[in-house]
Amino acid sequence: MLKVDQLSKDFGGLQVIRDLSFQVADGERRVILGPNGAGKTTLFHLLTGVKQASSGNISYAGTDISAMDAVGRASIGIARSYQKNNLFENLTIRENLMLAASAATGKSNWFIRDASLHADVKTRIEETAEMVALSDQLDMMVNAISYGNRRQLEVGLALATKPSLLLMDEPTSGVGPAMIDRFHHLLDSLPRDITILIIEHDMDLAFSIADRITVLNFGEKVFEGTPAETRGNATVRQIYLGEAK
Amino acid sequence: MFYQTHLRSIALILALGFLAIYASFGSYFAREIVVEITILAILAISLDFCAGFGGMVSLCHGAIMGIAAYVFTIMGVKLGWPSLPSATLGLLAAVLFSGMVGWVTARTSGIFFIMATLAFGQMAYTFFFKSRWLGGDDGMGGISRFDLSWLGLDLNDALVFALLGVGVLFLVYVVASILLRSGFGRVLCGIHSNENRMQAMGVNTAKHKALAMACSGFMAGMAGIIAAQHTLYISPELLIWTVSGEVLLVVILGGIGTLVGPVIGAIILIMMKHELSNYTDYWHMIVGVVLILAVLAGGRGVYGQIEVWLEAFFKPQAPKEPKEPTESKEKEQDLA
Repeated sequence: MLKVDQLSKDFGGLQVIRDLSFQVADGERRVILGPNGAGKTTLFHLLTGVKQASSGNISYAGTDISAMDAVGRASIGIARSYQKNNLFENLTIRENLMLAASAATGKSNWFIRDASLHADVKTRIEETAEMVALSDQLDMMVNAISYGNRRQLEVGLALATKPSLLLMDEPTSGVGPAMIDRFHHLLDSLPRDITILIIEHDMDLAFSIADRITVLNFGEKVFEGTPAETRGNATVRQIYLGEAK
Repeated sequence: MFYQTHLRSIALILALGFLAIYASFGSYFAREIVVEITILAILAISLDFCAGFGGMVSLCHGAIMGIAAYVFTIMGVKLGWPSLPSATLGLLAAVLFSGMVGWVTARTSGIFFIMATLAFGQMAYTFFFKSRWLGGDDGMGGISRFDLSWLGLDLNDALVFALLGVGVLFLVYVVASILLRSGFGRVLCGIHSNENRMQAMGVNTAKHKALAMACSGFMAGMAGIIAAQHTLYISPELLIWTVSGEVLLVVILGGIGTLVGPVIGAIILIMMKHELSNYTDYWHMIVGVVLILAVLAGGRGVYGQIEVWLEAFFKPQAPKEPKEPTESKEKEQDLA
């Protein structure tokens, strides 16, 4: 279980996250909603240890990880995909996945054996490529593939580390309806032993995959509930959808 | 990512074959040139390992080489240790120093990394330069050659020494290529490409970079041991920053991030230096022009550029598909 307790983050005088508390159960699909500037991506930075909170605590699987750095959090199974593609641009898709698989399987510390010859690395590359539908493009350079394929690889890099908690920051950002359907299928196909937090602006996708939804506004939690409850909540409609009271 | 392609294997065989033939059929002077090339090439491979594949452009590799040479000499000359343990300790000192430099500088990059390594190098240089016990700027002599008579080799023979240098160069290349193809080497290239992402995937990049510098230090240390064995004399000149600058020049000239390029670069630089200096005192200017051309040609260096040309030449051409009508032609058809 992921437990966020009274988390705050400020940059100088600007408070981006304010006393945020919520819990995510194992295997849950939690969607984070909120308008631009609500602090969603900052929340992901805090959860992954890229940035340290100004106050408050984060615990995962019963361990307080508040003081743990990004490397430590990744090593206990927390992975993320980024809002803007953060790939190894001058490498192939296979090499990208190999880096993730090598890191996750501890093969990054092997000094002699060719990384591509490890059976577990090879298997993980193939499995992940299959999951994100990139099997037929494994040997293509990342800088030569389409934007949609890059978004798939972005998620693939996180999945190749076999995370137990996956944070996805707008995976469908900038892609068309066909690709959104593909992501929908991918999210549905992910095993339930992966807990997923997802920031998503496509409402149809968000409402269809979420077990629960947390809505942020100006760094504060303004609502939390099931998709049905979220749809019917007047505050959410006013803040997020801009509807008049 | 590093791949030992057929082209690289051929280039390496040609380069090492040239050195072996040049030493075998050349004069004593030619054999000295070959040793000079092998020392520079080993040092250049060690720099390419961390700069070309790890993004750590170091300006202290001369110091790392010098530290290995000094520790080897201190153990042998001052303390009377046999050659092999002295050399082992020299290599260990190089590994520890470079690993420490890598650890301290791991969180820096670009110009700050270069300046930090330059500072470390100059600190080491100053230490040996000022030390009276180690001979100060006079350096230290009295080094004895490795006794390889049990192998039937007499290292006092210039040809044997030159060929041994070529052999060590080959071994260092093999070690570097194995490391670069391992999980460690692949992740090192990943750190060079996108360090933040590697951290997000659970890689302790600071530790990884420090280890890469230590591996590089081992190779630079090999160059230091051969340098001490070659002249049987060492001085702080080995550690001065211009040595590191010259090695960086060789790496760029040959082709950074190719591993075999630095070997080619070392051959070009030393051969040019010796051949051109017969004709003009301004040979540095000609080397400078060659370097500028190598940088302007996409920064790939001599071997790197040749590799790109040959790969493009041998790449299978995709069959030409019939052109689809352009938008303007379609409009013309519509109008018709």
